[in-house]
Amino acid sequence: MKYRKGLERSGRTLLLLSALLSVVTVILITLFIFSQGLPLFKDVSLWEFVSSTDWSPSAESPHYGVFSFIYASFVVTFLSLLFALPLSLATAIHLALFAKGKVKEVITMSVELLSGIPSVIFGLFGIAVIVPMVRALFGGNGYSLLSSSLILAIMVMPTLINVSEVAIASVSSELKEASYGLGATTAQTIFRAILPTARSGITAAIVLSLGRAVGETTAVLLVGGNAPLFPSSPVSMGRTLTMNIVTDMGYAEGTHMSALFATAMLLFVVILLLNGIVTFLSHRSRTK
Amino acid sequence: MVSLNLEEMKMKRTTVVLSLVLLLSLSLLSATGSKETVEKKRMTFGGSSTAAPIIAGAIPAYEAKHNDVAITYETLGSSVGIKSLEDGTLTLAGSSRELKESEIALGDKAVPVALDGLSVVVHGDVAIDNLTMNELASIFSGEITNWKDVGGNDEKIVLVVRDETSGTYGSFKEIVLDKQKKAPTKEAIVAKENGELAAKVASTPGAVGYCGMAFASTVKARGGSVLSIEGIDPTSKNVKNGTYPISRSLFMVSKGEPGEVERSFIDFLLSKEGQAIVEENGFITIR
Repeated sequence: MKYRKGLERSGRTLLLLSALLSVVTVILITLFIFSQGLPLFKDVSLWEFVSSTDWSPSAESPHYGVFSFIYASFVVTFLSLLFALPLSLATAIHLALFAKGKVKEVITMSVELLSGIPSVIFGLFGIAVIVPMVRALFGGNGYSLLSSSLILAIMVMPTLINVSEVAIASVSSELKEASYGLGATTAQTIFRAILPTARSGITAAIVLSLGRAVGETTAVLLVGGNAPLFPSSPVSMGRTLTMNIVTDMGYAEGTHMSALFATAMLLFVVILLLNGIVTFLSHRSRTK
Repeated sequence: MVSLNLEEMKMKRTTVVLSLVLLLSLSLLSATGSKETVEKKRMTFGGSSTAAPIIAGAIPAYEAKHNDVAITYETLGSSVGIKSLEDGTLTLAGSSRELKESEIALGDKAVPVALDGLSVVVHGDVAIDNLTMNELASIFSGEITNWKDVGGNDEKIVLVVRDETSGTYGSFKEIVLDKQKKAPTKEAIVAKENGELAAKVASTPGAVGYCGMAFASTVKARGGSVLSIEGIDPTSKNVKNGTYPISRSLFMVSKGEPGEVERSFIDFLLSKEGQAIVEENGFITIR
């Protein structure tokens, strides 16, 4: 008896240690990024770093301005959500309220498969299909923010669909019945009763997808064009924050390397904010 | 009963912590135990980032043969590397350019260990097969933006370049643009690897790019073509005899005669095994 309890205790300690390991890892990574990135601001002012569009790290007098990349990240993320949201919501509503049997199974499985495809495959698909399509429809060379957004839209759909489906399915049936009881049509029930009730769950889905979109690297790297310029339109080439980090990481050193870590700091802060919003929203929906 | 349990819990916790500490110290012990007792000669070389892949590839192969030497290579750029020979921070520097008069006057000696040549590749629909160095510089500095200005069809030029930290970018900028006092335009697709560049040139109409000569075949295989420059084809033969213009030698530089280890490292680079490493990394052998 005593022995069993002791075993349980040490088991629990082991679990705690494993859990602590991930906490320690997060702390170490944070410390590492900031310790590598902060030295940049000895050479470049924070204001210049975030507001200048001149990124020329290997020039005679180097400049490290990432505003173009912040802007490109913002545009790509916004557009991808714009493309993905209507489709994903429609899919989620269908899955949660109407789909049955084989049809539901096939759709659910496809969405799951979609989320399992590695991002480099999306990137290659982008080069082969989306880039030529954008080139044919909108001119330019096809490598553009628009192409990146289209690829990202496909990539964030599984998250959007899954999380909002759960939110929609968990709306109580009494509410639906009450709505029908008042003589509302199905469309009215969906738009006036179900979606507003599932709102915070859907918002959480959006914020989660935002995080994924901001952080995605490989796929957008392959189709975005990666020119370190301020993109004048969605069909222009552009470089996002993640693309900037990975493009120069190989051989960068000194101030240039710090500038890449400072870019990572920016990204880190953005992702942290997004995570904060998710936590806040899910907390609010629980207390409601 | 409760107090007994607490006592027991504490004991167990101590045991867990103790065994963890024991494990850790054991692993530390075994780590120090496996270290060789022979004192190694530590050498620091550095310089050119273009030459870095060759030297990084050669170091482990060299150390396997000379297990009393440990070499590190710092990627500093050719000029900083050569300067560091002066103050003794480095004893051997990699360089992707020839020595200046002033450096020769200081007694620096350069031994060529590899050749570096770049191919200019275009998409299949670009109807030209030769460019002059002048035209090439004007195209990559963004002054010429249409193929008709260099004798081709009326088609917009799409530039595909490499990332700024790559040796390929550095070589091209130095040999083609710097010599004509032109700066590279940023209005270009940036590819992170030679292979990615080849894929993008081959799939984008009107595209032109540059890559290590070894990768030109990838573009050709996908229907693109390789240009001759000033009428000379990019072949290893033409790089070796010095006629192909977008090429240069990579040197190992020492202050005065190289020391014992430095000499033997240079000899290793020039050996059959060393030159195989040169080729593996997409450069051209010296012989």
